[in-house]
Amino acid sequence: MKINRRNFTLTGGALTLGFLLGDGVISLTPAEAKAQNLPFHRLTKNQASLIDILGDAIVPGAKAAGLSHYIDHQLSVRHQDNLLILRYLRVNPPFDGFYSASLQAFEEAIQQRYHKEPSDLTEVEISDFITIMMQKNPEFWSLPGHEAPPAPFFYFVLRSDAIDVTYSTMEAFDSLDIPYMAHLEPAHTWEVSPK
Amino acid sequence: MNYAEKTDVVIVGSGAAGSLMAAKLAESGKKVIILEAGPERTLKDLTSSQIHARRLKWSGDLVMENGAQPIGNGFNSGYGTGGAALHHYAVWPRLHAEDFKIRSLHGRHLDWPISYDDLRPYYDRIQQEVGISGDSQAEVWRPDGADYPLPPVPAFQQSEIIAEGFKKLGKSLSPLPLALNSREYMDRPGCLWDGWCDAGCPTKALANPLAVYLPKAKKHDCQIIHDATVTRVLTEQNGKKTIGVTYRIKDGIEITLMAKMVILAAFAIQTPRLLLASAEGGLANRSGLLGSYIMSHAAALVYGLFEEETEPYMGPTGGQMLNQDSYDHKDKRPQGFGSYQWMIAQAVKPNDLLGFGGSNPGIFGAKLTEFMQRAAQHFGGMTACVEDLPQRENRVSLSSEKDKFGLPLASVTHTSHKDSLALWQGAKQEGMEIFKAAKAEQVWTGPLGPMHLMGGTIMGQDAETSVTNSYGQCHDIDNLFIAGPGLFPTSGGVNPTFTVHALTLRSSEYILKNWSSLT
Repeated sequence: MKINRRNFTLTGGALTLGFLLGDGVISLTPAEAKAQNLPFHRLTKNQASLIDILGDAIVPGAKAAGLSHYIDHQLSVRHQDNLLILRYLRVNPPFDGFYSASLQAFEEAIQQRYHKEPSDLTEVEISDFITIMMQKNPEFWSLPGHEAPPAPFFYFVLRSDAIDVTYSTMEAFDSLDIPYMAHLEPAHTWEVSPK
Repeated sequence: MNYAEKTDVVIVGSGAAGSLMAAKLAESGKKVIILEAGPERTLKDLTSSQIHARRLKWSGDLVMENGAQPIGNGFNSGYGTGGAALHHYAVWPRLHAEDFKIRSLHGRHLDWPISYDDLRPYYDRIQQEVGISGDSQAEVWRPDGADYPLPPVPAFQQSEIIAEGFKKLGKSLSPLPLALNSREYMDRPGCLWDGWCDAGCPTKALANPLAVYLPKAKKHDCQIIHDATVTRVLTEQNGKKTIGVTYRIKDGIEITLMAKMVILAAFAIQTPRLLLASAEGGLANRSGLLGSYIMSHAAALVYGLFEEETEPYMGPTGGQMLNQDSYDHKDKRPQGFGSYQWMIAQAVKPNDLLGFGGSNPGIFGAKLTEFMQRAAQHFGGMTACVEDLPQRENRVSLSSEKDKFGLPLASVTHTSHKDSLALWQGAKQEGMEIFKAAKAEQVWTGPLGPMHLMGGTIMGQDAETSVTNSYGQCHDIDNLFIAGPGLFPTSGGVNPTFTVHALTLRSSEYILKNWSSLT
């Protein structure tokens, strides 16, 4: 059979993941997982919150698109099934440590600089902070005993993750007025390895 | 230890070189087994998604990358059936005559042991077998060769707009030669021009191994064993002949496969790793050069936003137009030394490393939202493929760390030659001028991106200065061959896959012609 976009049935969402829920696996988009407030498996609630705060400030819409659930899901699977952009960027798996160290550095730098929690930052404050972190390590970024990846690198990675989850779906293409034109639609469940 | 039935030929790796070699040898009656370290992939796995496409890239054993300009193994290598060629963009220009004789002509770096004229008939035959779309007459820089069998790719709006910049500056342009069907050819359909090449082409319009040579190999009873990691090339006690390989399957069971001939086509990193790990000091390493001269083209990325709508999502991922004005006379560049070509008007998606969203990482927040909306309709881009001059100290070596089977991991050091870096800088500057001449509203450039992997097991005239002869036959072991871009002594400034095919076809005929004496 010849395969092309004309004879493959279009089936809906373009970023459907298999999320563990209780003893089973359900297929949802990261946005649906976010909306249903599914539990995290690798991230703590605080880490997920930090991802959403920073990710959404960098790429508006990333939080609602399910950024934290997307990253949590990808951290849960085998390396060869992990589709985070980090796999291109010379970071050795597992990637959990990269995110946890970076998020801790982000939280501590905010607390030291602004004397408040990241969730309490104003738009101007977080924008100023991002402007610094994309260029160099902000003050208090990597404290002794808490060495973290360079802030500009973490910014680049989280920005890429956020663009992935926000702009890779068929709905997002449609919002940009780009025809998706799939040959094979990526709608199958991404298996989650048993813990 | 488990023993498999003896075979004529075992090929390690199922990418561009491995699949072509397997097809040619199997068609001639040889019993061929391919051992592929990665998982099985079929056309139905090639989903249209930049995220899913990452599965096609390397996720095998860790590769330690060092040096000032690391080679980007994670992005450039493939994993599973078809290897890196499964996600390649099918940009298939030829090397030029000068590429083969840099030392003779310029007194620096290396010569190939063959000339362009030696390889030309193989380029011609491969392009007829595979199908290349292009316009040989418009390629005013092209070395002699047969006309392409297929008409060129259509020009979409993006290339028309950028072309204006080239024209204003008096530069030449041609359609990009692509191993991508502009119309049906050899029972494979024409391309739909929707820019999913990087995700792997499931329609078979693009000449990846699943579309062309693996089906031919299988038709002649070639067997592919997946998830099979080769751990050692075996030799007779005197080391003069190979007798097969050992490999491990998923559950760790080690199997010995005896063969009359071993062909390593595991790409530029894993092939030297395997040879280095197969004997004290490395197998087939009399020269001491095993692993040396690793190269990766430097990509000079130029981006712009244009007032006109560009339809940047249409066309092939590799681009639509070609310029090689800065190719011949490597010593005549304004700065640096070497060759480069422009691949113009690549089809882009919003996300991924090469997506327009990632092209300008300094933008965030509300400005990013505006940018994404604007870029979706007005983005333009082109990439220079810049020659990476070979240096002995850029090399694959064995790490002290080991994989789950106890095989040392590969460590790769790569720092670009200063003349290559200067050439890359010059290309970026030229690219910005071209975009300004094309009336781009905004122009910006990307960081140096490593593109393609070559070298590490270079061919040459003798055993003192190279690992193999011009057929990929190891100088030290008659029935041990290497195939793929690892053989390249110099990189040129063009995409390597067409040359890999031409070299492999030439090698396969040498093997068949000399089978009795080699085995």
